Amino acid sequence: MPQFDIATFSEQIFWLFVIFAILYFLMSRIALPKVGEVLERRQKTIEDNLGKARALKDETDAAIAKYEAALAEAREAAQADIREASEKAAAEQAKKTEAMVKKLSKKTSDAEKAIADAKADAMTGVAEAASEIAREATDKLIGVKVQAKTADKAVSAIVGE
Amino acid sequence: MAGPLEQFEIKPLAELSVAGIDISFTNSALWMVIAAVLVTGFMTLSMRRGALVPGRWQGSAEVMYEFVANMLKDNVGSAGRKYFPFVFTLFMFVLFGNLLGMIPHSFTFTSHIAVTFAMALVIFLGVTVIGFMRHGTHYLRMFFPEGAPIATAIILIPIEIISYFSRPFSLAIRLFANMTVGHIMLKVIGGFVGLIGILGVLPFALLTGITVLEFGIAALQAYVYTILTCIYLHDAIHMH
Repeated sequence: MPQFDIATFSEQIFWLFVIFAILYFLMSRIALPKVGEVLERRQKTIEDNLGKARALKDETDAAIAKYEAALAEAREAAQADIREASEKAAAEQAKKTEAMVKKLSKKTSDAEKAIADAKADAMTGVAEAASEIAREATDKLIGVKVQAKTADKAVSAIVGE
Repeated sequence: MAGPLEQFEIKPLAELSVAGIDISFTNSALWMVIAAVLVTGFMTLSMRRGALVPGRWQGSAEVMYEFVANMLKDNVGSAGRKYFPFVFTLFMFVLFGNLLGMIPHSFTFTSHIAVTFAMALVIFLGVTVIGFMRHGTHYLRMFFPEGAPIATAIILIPIEIISYFSRPFSLAIRLFANMTVGHIMLKVIGGFVGLIGILGVLPFALLTGITVLEFGIAALQAYVYTILTCIYLHDAIHMH
């Protein structure tokens, strides 16, 4: 078997060491640092991009939160405005209603007073007329002149005032 | 018809000798050079652009890098990072040696015990030196683990010593034997194909299957050689 031919050992081992040493040098100094550098750069790029994406996402989230806060604030302000306006309107309405009620009640009382006055006037007129008529009638029928005072008294007794 | 062992013959291409020692450049050395050139070409040309999004070649080179890096990290931990260039060179050298051997009429330098044993011995000595440098004489504890009852020392220590010193042999013989046997098998079965006429399709089919298997073994043995190196390195750095 050629593997056990000791005469070939020295040449095999010599070239093995020489070629292995050269290959080791080429790998450790040139090839492997390059691969390591490329892998590291890729890792770094991926991490950078992830970091960038995360930062952008944070920014977006912040913007959304800000927008939502602004929206809520605006909604609140609008609601406050609406509340204020409706309160004002209600107050005005109440004032107007009160004024109107006052006016109407004044009118009513005025009218009632006018009616009462008119009624009193009318009653006075009726009584006077009745006493006049009664005196005339008494005079014409029985020829007795009745004092106005007495007639008035009689009339008011009948009317029951 | 060439015998099945002829493929392992060392043929000098240029006779050289220094101080009486034969260092002729042989077919073995030629295929080592081819392997080294291919590994270097593969690892540098494919990474030339250093693209952020790797292409097919760059992806392959990165896969090899990360494969060995992970093997080292899983078996040795972060303390093994220093030895990554060596382990990577070892893996690629053995892997390419094994795979180039699958080319018909090529030469498989990893099928020679001189080569596998020389590498195994360097690994063994290196690991032992690392062990003593990190732990001093405490490294001798390797032969008698902490917590073992003192009475077991008489059995345990010889066993541990034998197992420790058999490491380079098991490393070297495993690779050499796998490569040699595989190639002999291919050659012998290949010989039958032409000999038995039309029935030759049967050994041919078998040969096809075994060729696939041998490619698997070529990769697997490179992996085993490297992972055992990692395990020895782990023992040297972390003890048991």
